[in-house]
Amino acid sequence: MADGLQTVKNWILERHPERDDIAADLDLIENRLIDSLSFVEFVFLLEQESGTAIQMETLEVDSIRTLGAIEQHFFTAKVEVGQA
Amino acid sequence: MPARPAAPPAGGLGWANLGMDIVSVNRVRRLLAQYGERFFERMLTPGELADCRTSSGLDVLSLCGRIAAKEAAFKTLRVRGRFLPWPDIVVRRSEGGWPLVELHGPAAEMAAESGITEITVSISHDVDYAVAVAAPIIAPTPSSSNS
Repeated sequence: MADGLQTVKNWILERHPERDDIAADLDLIENRLIDSLSFVEFVFLLEQESGTAIQMETLEVDSIRTLGAIEQHFFTAKVEVGQA
Repeated sequence: MPARPAAPPAGGLGWANLGMDIVSVNRVRRLLAQYGERFFERMLTPGELADCRTSSGLDVLSLCGRIAAKEAAFKTLRVRGRFLPWPDIVVRRSEGGWPLVELHGPAAEMAAESGITEITVSISHDVDYAVAVAAPIIAPTPSSSNS
């Protein structure tokens, strides 16, 4: 797991101490791990960790619905560029 | 800006799909301390922020109420798979002091798809929390206006 994604996962876990772990395919929205207010803060964190500016207006729900989707949309591409 | 949303005539279409939200003052205070006002510039328009400002800075309770009102208004739209379009649901303070909702862009489109012409909200707050309830005004259809 990329360091940035681990930071994102830790950020969610810190806000939900009732959870020990978050599966890669767990729906973060349906399980209320991210709500509207924390979503704005979450976007701040994602920008910081991925180094990518995010337009909230065009952000697709499915791109942050699970940790797996977050890795695919915000961290995988960066790793591939680094390895090229 | 209209003075107030107009209720539908008695016997016509009524209110539906209420929205409600609650916002913790402590949570917003932490965000303000951690990120500063710029954090809320993603959620509130300059006019909304101005409505929440006092001579000593942003009033956190007003901020919480405004955020709760936006979320409550969004809930009346009953859309799935969409994030709250923060800048497109605008809650301003009217001359009378009550909050008025303006819908723009995607929020206006979502409302139109649901037959909603306007949304009315009420905000209340105490020491630790702000709450808001919102109700949509449904546009009468040709069949309902004939009945």
